[in-house]
Amino acid sequence: MKISYEWLGDFVDLGGVSPKEAAEVLTRLGIEVESLNVIDLSQIIVGKVIEQKKHPKSRNPLWVHQVDIGGRTEQIIAGADNAVPGSLVPVALPGTTVPNGKLVKDLNIAGFSAKGMLCSAEELLLGDDHSGILILDSGKPGDSLTTVIPSQATMDVEVTSNRPDCTGHLGVARELAAGVDRPMKVDFMPAFTGKAEPAGRDLVKVTIDDSDLCSRYIGGVITGVKVGNSPDWLQRRLRACGVRPINNIVDITNYVLLEYAQPLHAFDRAKLSGGEVHVRRARAGEKLLCLDGVERELTPEMLVIADADKPVAIAGVIGGEETAVTDTTTDMLLEAATFNGPSVRQTARAFGLRTEASARFEKGLPAELALAGARRAAALIVELAGGAVHREWADVYPRPQEPVRIRLKPWLVDEVLGIHVPLEDSEAILVRLGFHVRVLGDGEWDVLPPVFRLDVSIPEDLVEEVGRVWGYDRVPPTLPGRQRDRWTPSTPSMGRRLDAARQVLAGAGFTETWNPALVSGRVLEQLRVGARALRVSNALSDDMDTLRTSLLPSLVNVVALNRDRGRSDVKVYEIATVFLARVGDKTTQQPEEPQRLGVVADAGATAESGRAAFYAMKSVLDACISELGAPPCTFQRASAELFHPGRCAAVFQDARQLGYLGEIHPSVVTGANLEGRLVAMEIDVEPVLAAASAVRARPLPRFPAIERDLAVVVEEHVAAGALLAAIKEAGRDVLENTRPFDEYRGAQVPDGSKSVAFALTFRSPERTLTDAEVDNVMVEIKLALEKKHGARFRE
Amino acid sequence: MSNPQELTQEALAAIARAQTEAEVAAIEVDYLRRKNGRLSSLLSEIGKLPPEERAALGQAANEAKRAIEAALAAKRQELEEARLADIAETEAIDITFPGPPLGRGHLHVLTQVQRQIETVLESMGYQVELGPEVETEWYNFEALNIPPGHPARENWDSFYFTPDLLLRAHTSPVQIRAMQRIKEPPIYIITPGRCYRRDAPEATRLPYFSQVEGLAVDKALTVGDMKGTLLYMIQSLYGEERKVRVRPSYFPFTEPSFEFDVTCGICAGAGCKSCRHKGWLEVGGCGMVHPQVLRNGGIDPTKWNGYAWGFGIERMAMLKHDVEDIRLFYESDLRFLEQF
Ligand SMILES: [Zn+2]
Repeated sequence: MKISYEWLGDFVDLGGVSPKEAAEVLTRLGIEVESLNVIDLSQIIVGKVIEQKKHPKSRNPLWVHQVDIGGRTEQIIAGADNAVPGSLVPVALPGTTVPNGKLVKDLNIAGFSAKGMLCSAEELLLGDDHSGILILDSGKPGDSLTTVIPSQATMDVEVTSNRPDCTGHLGVARELAAGVDRPMKVDFMPAFTGKAEPAGRDLVKVTIDDSDLCSRYIGGVITGVKVGNSPDWLQRRLRACGVRPINNIVDITNYVLLEYAQPLHAFDRAKLSGGEVHVRRARAGEKLLCLDGVERELTPEMLVIADADKPVAIAGVIGGEETAVTDTTTDMLLEAATFNGPSVRQTARAFGLRTEASARFEKGLPAELALAGARRAAALIVELAGGAVHREWADVYPRPQEPVRIRLKPWLVDEVLGIHVPLEDSEAILVRLGFHVRVLGDGEWDVLPPVFRLDVSIPEDLVEEVGRVWGYDRVPPTLPGRQRDRWTPSTPSMGRRLDAARQVLAGAGFTETWNPALVSGRVLEQLRVGARALRVSNALSDDMDTLRTSLLPSLVNVVALNRDRGRSDVKVYEIATVFLARVGDKTTQQPEEPQRLGVVADAGATAESGRAAFYAMKSVLDACISELGAPPCTFQRASAELFHPGRCAAVFQDARQLGYLGEIHPSVVTGANLEGRLVAMEIDVEPVLAAASAVRARPLPRFPAIERDLAVVVEEHVAAGALLAAIKEAGRDVLENTRPFDEYRGAQVPDGSKSVAFALTFRSPERTLTDAEVDNVMVEIKLALEKKHGARFRE
Repeated sequence: MSNPQELTQEALAAIARAQTEAEVAAIEVDYLRRKNGRLSSLLSEIGKLPPEERAALGQAANEAKRAIEAALAAKRQELEEARLADIAETEAIDITFPGPPLGRGHLHVLTQVQRQIETVLESMGYQVELGPEVETEWYNFEALNIPPGHPARENWDSFYFTPDLLLRAHTSPVQIRAMQRIKEPPIYIITPGRCYRRDAPEATRLPYFSQVEGLAVDKALTVGDMKGTLLYMIQSLYGEERKVRVRPSYFPFTEPSFEFDVTCGICAGAGCKSCRHKGWLEVGGCGMVHPQVLRNGGIDPTKWNGYAWGFGIERMAMLKHDVEDIRLFYESDLRFLEQF
């Protein structure tokens, strides 16, 4: 919101407080000034035009002026002709830079010297009128322009949603006054001066039909107004705040909105049918041609202002064209009402139309503000548009604002802030902000907030009022650290525990990614992993309308993106939540949110490179699991969406399945516009962490080991894992370790068979083994392999 | 047959001529080998000598052995010194040639920054708490004093699945859940995690982002304690010269509420282009926990009070690493991620 520094000066003496200082005070108080724009008019002087003649030689029409600038006369040439003799005008002499940035030079135009410039409103940044020279209402030649128009400063302020009272200059000025400790020049509630007969409430009959959406409606009648232009100062202030002047009546309603934060509306009373005003919900099918020229269809949840026949305004949002004040209006109805915030917001949203009025109503305005705004507007109308205010306005107020009282233990201020604020200072601050404070016998305070402050209701709110004016800069930083007899022992977070896996992955060349959890539901369905996906009901776009059920589609896309950008051998992973809707009658509950580790890597282009990459991925998984301190995983051939049907393993830890590891299905790869092969895994990490335990050191071996190799020839279908299990079982307690290290097909191995080579390490913890002992165990191992898997052996 | 003295002379001359370690080793074998070495061959004749000469020959042979050994050692030393003397040239390599790439991967910069934040706060006794990302209306809004129709809801425009289920707009629901679980203060927790708001993606904000919120509930906590905690955290992350200020603001779940700012790292608070001449950079929000929020968490506000704060991890990472576009964090371009 734009706030004019000059305007604030109407309410509080700003002598000695520069715009910059005022901005700093407001920011410290909680009204954040985002930017400050100062228009310095002190270098511009007032001039009086003595003579105006057409330039005789110039091809473009130019006018040569003789201008009295106080004690001397200068010749100044202008393109506009509105500075007729006698006009008071702003003059910029050579060497001056005018506010729009133009440097004025000493010129000679076709034989006529030009000693300066007559300024338009646009050049002085006082408006967008560049059609002519700005004509001043008053001023003395030679004086600084600031004697007529003060230097302008506008602030862009951000008002928090709890302070609708500060969406007007009066409220901001009150904050500033409290901040600089100066009195307010005006009272919140202006006097009412309406005397004309008959009583306003007899001229316009107001009824609130739906009082749940309107807690107060004031309809003030003013007759005999003369519609015309507003005076310069008012137009200038409106412009400074970004509002376009229209006519004096409309301008005054806008002016009071910007001043009191109370939206107002002016109707041409003659156009209100039946002399009636109804505040009611719209009826199905009703329409209204609005002030912006758009006809809007109304729905029954919207509140409207209607006359005897039809809606004439959408409550709190926008008025109707037909009943608007025009040049011919003489009698008017001034509306000042308090509409329900959520209702106004809903209506404004439904139309995609956020007006100055709706923005204020949305936040919930105090009903007392309506009366203050209406009185202020009536006074201005009489002053600037003439007319007579009728006595006894209609003021329908079905639910009067409840006064709030707060019992404050004033020492709470010190307790919350952690510093000492003298009681008299706390009290003075509250009084400066418009609160009434009564000290009770027990030392507690009975505090009555001002009527325009609906945001204050509990003692902590009062602490905040005192704190922000006292100054939080005066609160020194401390750390909590009192005696404690209870605490929670420190445990490492899940994220920190998983860093062990991150380190393994980094060492193996994998880079971590964070990918959005919202993905395209259509793509999940195409990949057939959308069955348990949750769909957002109000998505921003269909490429992020669904929560992902797997990390792998995102990671495949990461490979595609990086290949597009010239990378090969992409190795990436992510540790994040996936979302699985609950099934059966629990679909409306919160979903399961398992934490997953997903890994994807390039796996070359050939079946053989894919196979190697598969085993490399197993090594990565084994290393991660081992670093996390969990028992090793086992693998079972499986099939799963996203995975290659012949190259997919279900990953188990004890009896629990953690996820899958394997090559990505070729159709998923091509679906992502990729060539070649990808290898991947995705596992649940929470069970891994749950199974983790501290490493227990084993004693170092005291006796030597004996190494043997064994080449086992079996039929193709026999898995290395099965052979391994058989060897381990037969190797008893002297087989310390064994692993397969080679797989061979070809000469010396029959068709349909393969040779798997194992390295075996034998050792006893109690004695030195003899070759003969190991030979015996090897015989047993061979027998077992022969019996269970029909194995033959190669030397 | 020669005598030990002659043998010694012969050996010493050979050693003197030797140029390499291999030659020295050959001489050693030739003269000193136990079986068939020249010295032992000489001694093998000893039995033929009269007993009175045996001792003299034995002694002469020992002297010869010592002399040859000494000469060998000296020669070896000389050769080693000569070798070391010119390795600067003989073994010189081009030290400007780069090492081969390690092929190491990288932790995501947000993981790194999040962990730094956690480390600082854990050192002050805060514990990490996690919670669901799909939340209920009650935890996301009502428990935080934001009833339906509250004007502040506008700041947390959210993604809904059903009228009651939504993606959390902040990690504050985790604070409520933690209070309900822990029940009895003191409570010192931080809640890192992903959040979602219905804002169209642009350079400074995304519909998804990550937050760290902190919550302290204890006896007699003050605004000063909150300021101190934030200052300690900021200085630990960005350096001791940084200052923190709190500015009154409004959140329904804290009272009083603040925004907290950190002095600009470029101009140290003097004002520059990067901080839009304010000297301060907005980092996050904070405040004393609203009594109703404590009550909603099952904590008695007449016995305990608290403070809380929150900020975006991306924002902290952007400040720390001069990242200008928030979208880079989630785009997964390795050229970006590998910089950290
Ligand atoms: Zn700066």
